[in-house]
Amino acid sequence: MRLGDETALEALYARYGGLVFTLALRIVGDPELAREVLQDTFLRSWDGRETYDPRRGRVPWWLMGIARNRAVDLLRSRPHQARLREQERLPSGAHAGEPAHPGTADAVVLRRAVTDALERLSGAQREAIELAYYGGLTQAEIARHLGQPLGTIKSRTREAMERLRSLLEPRIGRTGKIGTTP
Amino acid sequence: MIDEHPVEDLAAYTLGSLEGTERVRVEEHAVACAACAARLREYQGVVGALPLGLAPVSPPSEAWESIRAAARARRARRRRWAGPVSLPNWLRVARWPAVAAALAVLLIWNVTLQRELVRRAPGPGPEVEALSRRPGRIVILTGTGQPGASARIFVAVDGGGHLAVSGLVPLPRGRTYQLWFVRTGAPAVTGATFGVDAYRRAWVKVAVPASLDDVRTIVITEEPASGSPTPTGMHLLEALPWR
Repeated sequence: MRLGDETALEALYARYGGLVFTLALRIVGDPELAREVLQDTFLRSWDGRETYDPRRGRVPWWLMGIARNRAVDLLRSRPHQARLREQERLPSGAHAGEPAHPGTADAVVLRRAVTDALERLSGAQREAIELAYYGGLTQAEIARHLGQPLGTIKSRTREAMERLRSLLEPRIGRTGKIGTTP
Repeated sequence: MIDEHPVEDLAAYTLGSLEGTERVRVEEHAVACAACAARLREYQGVVGALPLGLAPVSPPSEAWESIRAAARARRARRRRWAGPVSLPNWLRVARWPAVAAALAVLLIWNVTLQRELVRRAPGPGPEVEALSRRPGRIVILTGTGQPGASARIFVAVDGGGHLAVSGLVPLPRGRTYQLWFVRTGAPAVTGATFGVDAYRRAWVKVAVPASLDDVRTIVITEEPASGSPTPTGMHLLEALPWR
């Protein structure tokens, strides 16, 4: 893709477009905005392909980072806040949009592993992770939101991440590669 | 000496959940601490897998066509900027004098702009002015993603430098411009984060990498207010060609 090959962009979209859209929809809660995030993410990856650095992280991390930043920006923007006030936000897991094909066997197995790992967190740990990653809140904002000391939130976030790491390590490897099988 | 390990902040860092100063502290520590850098990579793998825990939803079927059309339009625009131009014969003869005239105009514009920047208040601080008096080189950035914007980076031979920008749109709260030195075979490093004034200008002191030998290009992107560890916004200004 660094050479500007459109087929590489298409391959990237075919592989990660669904995941980017799913992530964007979870964060912004609006299919139209999620589509905007999806397009921005792939255009920014296209524009910024020369700045992609394999040492800094793998392609999916890079793409998800772009998508999350853009989605959180939209989430925090005033027009979006107003829009959300006007329309009741879709409940988690009940977003508009077509359910995706489950994908390859490997993808299904990995998805199951991630879902199981998240379910094995305590409710408070899962909440800390979700408010940070999907809610776009800083640790200080989460502490204020939950009325808890900042130190408690940081410890909770670290414990949750450690638990996820130990549960997912057999699936994603120590280098964090997504999609490997044991 | 390595600072105390920021154990409590590593997870929050990979979730993008730290305030600016805490984020910078983690980044600076990870550069010198292999153990924390390795732990960050492991956490990044976990965070990268988190979206897999969501019920997958397919994007609209027409989404790819829109992306492809937009990518083609951008590529065409870039080619218009950088591609070879077929010139009529009379213009081929005249082009070198035209280039010389353009350079002269650019030089005059630079001098005029410099005087104007000095005249207008608030202008660059004494530190920036002192920097500009040292010997060094100037790199010009053009508005590839924001036509009409331009910037100059002055890099002093003994290190340090400053950036003068004009034509960038003031950003809403929560957003910042970020300068990047994009290197070959190494992570892009940030030189500065900044906003612009009501006149769409900024003067900023720049942290220049120790060596520019592996710097492939210099770009300015728009990022979240706390700054980004890696460029994620589109290239608004870019030094092309570099060197």
